[in-house]
Amino acid sequence: MFKSKTLTRALVMGSQYASLILFALFTTFPLLWALSFGLSTDGSTAYFFPQGFIPHIADGEGNYNIGATFSWFERVFVEIPFSTYFKNSMIMSTASVLGTVLISVLAAYPLSRMRFFGRNFIFIAIIATMMLPSEASLVPNYITVTTLGRWANSLQAMLGSDAETWRRFVGINSYFAAIAPSLAGAFGIFLMKQAFEAVPQDLIDAARVDGATEMQILWRIMLPVTTPSIAALSIFTLVNAWNDFLWPSIIMRSKEMQPLAVGVFNDLTGPLSGSQNTLMAAIVLTVIPVLIFFSFTQRYFISGMDGAVK
Amino acid sequence: MASITLKNIKKNYTKDVCVIKGVDLEIKDGEFVVFVGPSGCGKSTLMRMIAGLEDITAGELYIGDTLSNDLHASKRGIAMVFQSYALYPHMSVYDNMAFALKLAGTPKPEIDQRVKKAADILQMSHLLERKPKALSGGQRQRVAIGRAIVRNPKVFLLDEPLSNLDASLRLNMRVELSKLHQELKTTMLYVTHDQVEAMTLADRIVVFNAGIIQQVGSPLEMYENPSNLFVASFLGSPKMNLFEAQLVGVEQNAAVVRLPKGITARAAVNPGSAKVGDKVTLGIRPEHIQLVDESVAGAIPAKVDLVEHLGDTVLAYVEIPGVNEIICMKLPANMTGLKFGDTVRIVFPEQHSMLFDAEGLAFKRHR
Ligand SMILES: Nc1ncnc2c1ncn2[C@@H]1O[C@H](COP(=O)(O)OP(=O)(O)O)[C@@H](O)[C@H]1O
Ligand SMILES: [Mg+2]
Repeated sequence: MFKSKTLTRALVMGSQYASLILFALFTTFPLLWALSFGLSTDGSTAYFFPQGFIPHIADGEGNYNIGATFSWFERVFVEIPFSTYFKNSMIMSTASVLGTVLISVLAAYPLSRMRFFGRNFIFIAIIATMMLPSEASLVPNYITVTTLGRWANSLQAMLGSDAETWRRFVGINSYFAAIAPSLAGAFGIFLMKQAFEAVPQDLIDAARVDGATEMQILWRIMLPVTTPSIAALSIFTLVNAWNDFLWPSIIMRSKEMQPLAVGVFNDLTGPLSGSQNTLMAAIVLTVIPVLIFFSFTQRYFISGMDGAVK
Repeated sequence: MASITLKNIKKNYTKDVCVIKGVDLEIKDGEFVVFVGPSGCGKSTLMRMIAGLEDITAGELYIGDTLSNDLHASKRGIAMVFQSYALYPHMSVYDNMAFALKLAGTPKPEIDQRVKKAADILQMSHLLERKPKALSGGQRQRVAIGRAIVRNPKVFLLDEPLSNLDASLRLNMRVELSKLHQELKTTMLYVTHDQVEAMTLADRIVVFNAGIIQQVGSPLEMYENPSNLFVASFLGSPKMNLFEAQLVGVEQNAAVVRLPKGITARAAVNPGSAKVGDKVTLGIRPEHIQLVDESVAGAIPAKVDLVEHLGDTVLAYVEIPGVNEIICMKLPANMTGLKFGDTVRIVFPEQHSMLFDAEGLAFKRHR
């Protein structure tokens, strides 16, 4: 009896682990494959299974043995302006995360916690924008950006300068233009509104009685207790901004302003590109910062509300 | 320290749903007033209006001499303790208590001194570094009270502060709250649905029901002279025994009533303008019903339904044949011989019987 119980438990545990590992493999195999490809001397074993998932190096006589080389990773920095792209990606993603969190929080707080005329209508209007495919906004956004650039120029001219430098801050080829359209997203507002609504009313009332203004309640009570949602929104925004390709590729005409997703694609794919190993190495390098960010944010995913109310 | 004056306070949440229907009350400086009433009768709403967390639909609220209807919660000089504790989960106990002082721009040394003093009073100096989630229910409640104390408020509002604690802890905290009030001498408004808390803590009790004040008075006065049926049955545990009856005799300082089956009883009340034949309700508290010998004149025979031994007292539930209501009697602890099915004789003493008219209003008692 006792034996069969332990056996059952072992079987259950075993199958749970097996299915989780299978799922993990299923989700990570493209990345693992790219990593193995990037670490190999060339692509000759990459399209075989299971050798494709294990890095191989050539010994000069046409034989391939298991082993790894970092030479393609070094090539990435030589063949393309990787650091420039990386810097651009960092700037754009950081600004996106900060801007999105700020706007979502500021918009969600009144929508969830204040009573005013038209609140529901405004919320529904915001949610309705989620129905639109993002491609539908490409053309209007493009026109807006070029117009903004023109206005910046005219404003500068009006103020007595004909340098045409202000266009660089808001028009084509500006960081602002690349990230602004995605900052005020319905998803972030929705997520933060849900999070704020889950905060007990008593907590807010207690702060109000303690003498806090609405802004102080927001920054000193609401934000700290909703860190899990803010962490989730940050990661979601970061991944989206980091991987965004279409809009930056339209806006960032000049090479010095392009983020990784656009730069790597332009330089390393297509008929005139270098080896596939460089591409794979670049892809791996592109993904690493996101993974690091994720590992740091993970600890904020624990509930922030424990102990507040009974 | 301040008094509170409510003048015809009303509250509507929606246009046609009136939750508070006109409350007039004066609370003196330093008084401990307990609002008691069943759940949903509007106690919290009234409290939140005084705190400034809910708009006042109509009427006037004075804190001290200041008309405070439209004063922001933070400007009223009140501190509130919530039923749910409502501690800031991301702050340590120290920071929870210091929060209001920091917002008010109090100098650091003074904050430190006041927080430590409050922690001392509540005996939780060793908990100051902890986060709320590492505290037990009773400790959390202490922090919530400490958070109110540090601010030296003019008025304390406590909304069912003990109802989330277990029975023994509740008793302890009740005693401590009583001591705290003696020490601080601050005006305290305390809301509860528990009549024992009300009886033990209050200088004055306000019995509240359906958005209306039923009666205001000192605990004993309310217990002895409830002004209506609601107050009579709400205060006291076990509840007062009530019998539907008919007035059959009116004397100068007594009324004679008839229960079903021809049982008559006398009540020492001033019958006023009541007439023979009126429908009335006879009320008598469990501890006042007497168990007597057969020989006593007017003794009513009854059958024992259930006996509960509480240690210090015995509760006996008896039934008079022909009378619907089960009667609860509180007897001394030595009455252990009583058991199910026994036949006993009981008497309703005239001086302890109360009488209520058809509207539920009490006749004035005479003694
Ligand atoms: N925010 C609100 N909106 C509408 N009705 C409410 C609101 N808060 C309380 N009520 C209603 O007001 C009545 C009194 O509530 P409350 O003051 O919380 O009662 P108590 O504290 O005495 O249990 C209840 O019937 C409740 O449903
Ligand atoms: Mg309540």
